[in-house]
Amino acid sequence: MSGKRRRKMPKRAAKKVPLRTPSSEEPDTTPSKTSPRKGRLVCARSYPNRKPKNMPPFKDEHIMLIAPGSHMTLAQLGLPESFTPARFRFPTRMFPAQKKGEFEPYRIRERHHTVKPSNGHRAPEDAPAKSDTEMKDAAPAAEGTAAIKSETSKSAEDSADATADGVEKTEVQETFYEEDVASDEGAVCPIQDGRIVDWPCFFALLTHIYNALSPPFHTPILLVSQPVWTARDKEIITQFFFEKFKTPGFNIMDSALATCYGYGVQTATVIDVGKTKVDVTAVTDCAVIPYGRGIALKGCGGDAMTDRLVELLGPRGFTREMCEQLKRSNIAEILAPGTPLPGAAVTAHQGPNPAAAASTGGSGATDAVPRGPGENTQTGTENGPDDDEGVLDVAAIVSGNTTEYLAKIEKEKIGKKGGVDSKQKNAPNHQKEKASFQYEEFSPLDDDGAPVAGPRRYIRHAREIEVGAERFLLATPLQGASRLSSGILEDIAYQIYYTIQSVPDATRRSELWDSLIIVGCGSRVRGFAQALLGVITQKYLLSPSATIFTSEIPSAFSTPLPTGGTNTPAPMGQQASPMYLPAAHGVNPLLVAATHNNPGMAAVTPGTPAMDPSMSLHRSSGHSQTPTSVKCLRLPDYFPDFKHDGNRNAPGASQGPSGTQGGHGAEEATFLGAQMGAKVCYVLDQGLSKSFMTRVEYNESGPSAIHDFGF
Amino acid sequence: MNPSNPPQTAEYGGDEVSAIVLDPGYSTTRAGFAGEDAPKSLISTYYGKYTADGQERLLYGDDIYVNPHPGLSVHNPMGRDGIVEDWDMAEKVWEYSITSRLTTAKPGNPFQNGLNDIPAEELPTEMEVETDEKPLADSPLLMTESAWNPAKAREKTIEIAMEKWGTPAFYLARSGVLAAFASGKASGLVVDIGASNISITPVHDGMILKRGIQHSPLGGDYVSSQIRALFKKNSPQPITVTPHYLVNSKSPVEAGQPPQAKYRTFPADKAPDASWRALLEERTLSEFKECVVQVWPGPNKLSAASSTGAPNEEVARSSPGRPFEFPDGYNQVFGVDRFRVVESLFDAKAAIADPDSPFPAPTQAQTIPELIKASLGGVDVDIRPHLLNNVVVTGGSSLMYGFTDRLNHELQQLYPGPRVRISAPGNTAERRFGSWIGGSILASLGTFHQMWISKKEYEEHGANIVEKRCK
Repeated sequence: MSGKRRRKMPKRAAKKVPLRTPSSEEPDTTPSKTSPRKGRLVCARSYPNRKPKNMPPFKDEHIMLIAPGSHMTLAQLGLPESFTPARFRFPTRMFPAQKKGEFEPYRIRERHHTVKPSNGHRAPEDAPAKSDTEMKDAAPAAEGTAAIKSETSKSAEDSADATADGVEKTEVQETFYEEDVASDEGAVCPIQDGRIVDWPCFFALLTHIYNALSPPFHTPILLVSQPVWTARDKEIITQFFFEKFKTPGFNIMDSALATCYGYGVQTATVIDVGKTKVDVTAVTDCAVIPYGRGIALKGCGGDAMTDRLVELLGPRGFTREMCEQLKRSNIAEILAPGTPLPGAAVTAHQGPNPAAAASTGGSGATDAVPRGPGENTQTGTENGPDDDEGVLDVAAIVSGNTTEYLAKIEKEKIGKKGGVDSKQKNAPNHQKEKASFQYEEFSPLDDDGAPVAGPRRYIRHAREIEVGAERFLLATPLQGASRLSSGILEDIAYQIYYTIQSVPDATRRSELWDSLIIVGCGSRVRGFAQALLGVITQKYLLSPSATIFTSEIPSAFSTPLPTGGTNTPAPMGQQASPMYLPAAHGVNPLLVAATHNNPGMAAVTPGTPAMDPSMSLHRSSGHSQTPTSVKCLRLPDYFPDFKHDGNRNAPGASQGPSGTQGGHGAEEATFLGAQMGAKVCYVLDQGLSKSFMTRVEYNESGPSAIHDFGF
Repeated sequence: MNPSNPPQTAEYGGDEVSAIVLDPGYSTTRAGFAGEDAPKSLISTYYGKYTADGQERLLYGDDIYVNPHPGLSVHNPMGRDGIVEDWDMAEKVWEYSITSRLTTAKPGNPFQNGLNDIPAEELPTEMEVETDEKPLADSPLLMTESAWNPAKAREKTIEIAMEKWGTPAFYLARSGVLAAFASGKASGLVVDIGASNISITPVHDGMILKRGIQHSPLGGDYVSSQIRALFKKNSPQPITVTPHYLVNSKSPVEAGQPPQAKYRTFPADKAPDASWRALLEERTLSEFKECVVQVWPGPNKLSAASSTGAPNEEVARSSPGRPFEFPDGYNQVFGVDRFRVVESLFDAKAAIADPDSPFPAPTQAQTIPELIKASLGGVDVDIRPHLLNNVVVTGGSSLMYGFTDRLNHELQQLYPGPRVRISAPGNTAERRFGSWIGGSILASLGTFHQMWISKKEYEEHGANIVEKRCK
């Protein structure tokens, strides 16, 4: 359709375009796929300046948010009445398709199925189901047909092979391709340590997300960017969104800034604890300070804690998956520095089913289990019976070992009632020498070769595993690390110190120390924030005797003057006030006045051009050392869905690899902030203050103009 | 025509691509896009080197501070005089400053980078596409240099930019000129107080006056060495600076009391190099400079008597001291000493002697007033009043408290006649990034197109063209 229209419009018609009425040809008003080329000409000629009023306002329910992370990409279409955690979570990984450069959202498993030619009705049954979920990927694949085509041709080939080999004459071996939702095998992770390492794969993921959410045409997009992305990265992404999705409005929001929006503060130090890395960002007055920003500090994320557990417990037969679940469990905790470990002995032994542990360790099947929060909520539906806590796992019973399973359930119930360890039952976790968590694993219900159609099925095994004091050691330094780490918390604390000390405006540093925000799923480990604060207090907080003269009082002196900052001698009178002492800046003036009387110093020689009065008022050297206090900010509780410590300490929080721990709390404040940001820039502001880039502007100035738009 | 084809460059103002401004200094390297008001990328010029798995690894930027490794040592590709010594590493450090935050080579094969939809039938089956594009392939580059940069170094610089980075256009500007531009002046006397150097550059109508260029090594690093000398002689006990990474925890102690901290030790084969420790100590010292160090504001030297007859030192002594706490918890109030550590920038006799210091005792000719005198002595007498009326102070170390006051007093004593007017931006960033900001202004002007050396010109005339074009 668009091709026809374009052909009808020769070059001369394009020249006439400015004479037309603007509204009829404005591409953003027509919710159809107008040719971008035509749109570009029209807009460039007739609208040298933006006229947002010509664009219909964006609606809340049409706004699309995407927040890519190394592990999970959060996405949502539409802003709800009260902001909620992201509705969709996509694992940030794709699987290489058969054609090079193309990607599939799920692992495609080949299954050979021997069927009689007569009952070949199975094949057509599978095929449409397949094409429904077939994702139109970034690579050519004209509307996804190419992929299917290649698939069918492949199966034809295979069957040809089969017949050629003469395996069966009367039966044809067919190859089915099915999506293995739960498998991670062979996945390509386009984002590593926040950095985009595989662009085609990243674009394929974005396309998959876009198609899965299937937004209407008048959908502006807000992307939350990782701190590590370079200016060029953002340009490439901008180009992709405008050219691929023809979005009418687009903006990129820095994740640290989004977090500040979520917390409703303008100045904060944002500590984002991710999967493999930590970002520490100082934000003052809604401006991200680029200097000294802790970008992708390696070896500090959630994985590092799992690594440490593996290191500690690996020799005891713990697999990585077990350690991952232990880390997420209720009993793993980072103790504040100085807290003694319960009991001297560091022991761990496994729960009732050690044999199973051994076997899973060998099979490597545990790696195939999807990790991370909300894995199975990806399409918005619960995937199988995995997540029903307290409900008997029917699949497990069906799988045969019914008695075992029921016995185990009984045992669990007894455990919960306090049958074991009644003495320590009510003691807080950090006083118990040993504690147990429920480990869940999934194993495939069917063998690879079994002729079962439909998605692969898994059963859940759950069992209790008891762990000793190792569960408190997950933040201790890795022995095998090449990096000289003093432990995750020390490293993060030093990065915070470094970042805040690098803020050029020294007067803001103390405020930054007082407003730490800890987000990111890595920080969900119990006790993380408290322990981090403890480390900072222990290592960086100034003792009172060093700060006696520098009590931070909101004096008039630290208010920057609105003067331009050059050499007008005008504000001299203010400086010459008896209270003003060059040495006393940032010092309690009363204290100075009481202890000191020094006319020689106070007298600023008249007649000399003053050295920039505003400078001497908020210059760095005039200020005292920081930090004199350290505080964490709390997420305001306007949004009940984002609760602090949401379920972190809830009983039985360990819910297995699916990780849907009942929801996400304050650690996803970044996404909350992104929703606020989207609301502000797309709904309230409507682009009046250049808060987002429109198609028109993209067509005029190209992707590099994205840096001019922002919060 | 396929509607999904990307627009041609001309369609979205391909020539609007903003230039990259690179301002390499001894202590930090600044890089960013022209037209912006601060560099996006600020990294340490120091780089780290360590050996892991039998291979030499390099660390750049902030990583050298926060990412310790066994045996990590730090090095600087620049010499103390601001001239590059190690070109290979300078190229890598500079490239990192650009590629880490600004721009990188285009991602891979354009047919497969996901940006272009190419129908399968149009896709050439086997086409060799150069995948490793050069990092600056489509950004013009403006670089700064010190006023005394030798011709050889300038030629090497354009070689790197053109051949290694593939920049389409290049220009090399003097940092002094750019600092003057940053404060909105085409003429002026630029006083640049950097980390390794202080320099005086007379600028007239956007050109440096070569005979008036003066520089000496009394920069921020020299002040650090004076602070260390002070710590050594401190009473009641010498102060050792222990960086944070060696302190496990500290307990509060009274001022002047020995620190009570739990230290961390590394086995000899794991410990980082002494140079790394020195680098981290430098962080503490810069905090000390920010919070404690103060330039005696004048008038007159610290050792002289004030107008009322009382010695200046007594006056300084009676002002309230400033406390400072070290990473190990030791804290002390610094009184008159905090003036002494910088006094030798103005008065060579006031230098605190330290036989272990890498800096030889300064001579009077190296002090700022003498440098300015020598600089003005080298320029035409007619423009001296104009220069004195436009003294531009820039450089991170000029942020020491009271510096501009003192400079003003000194200049007024030296030149009582003409009106002395100091222009020093109040904003910390503007002062630290003066020459970068000037470069950003210059490279965003429409006339920058006429100034730069294009790749074609470079290929035609060779590296020597930089001598003719970038004066």
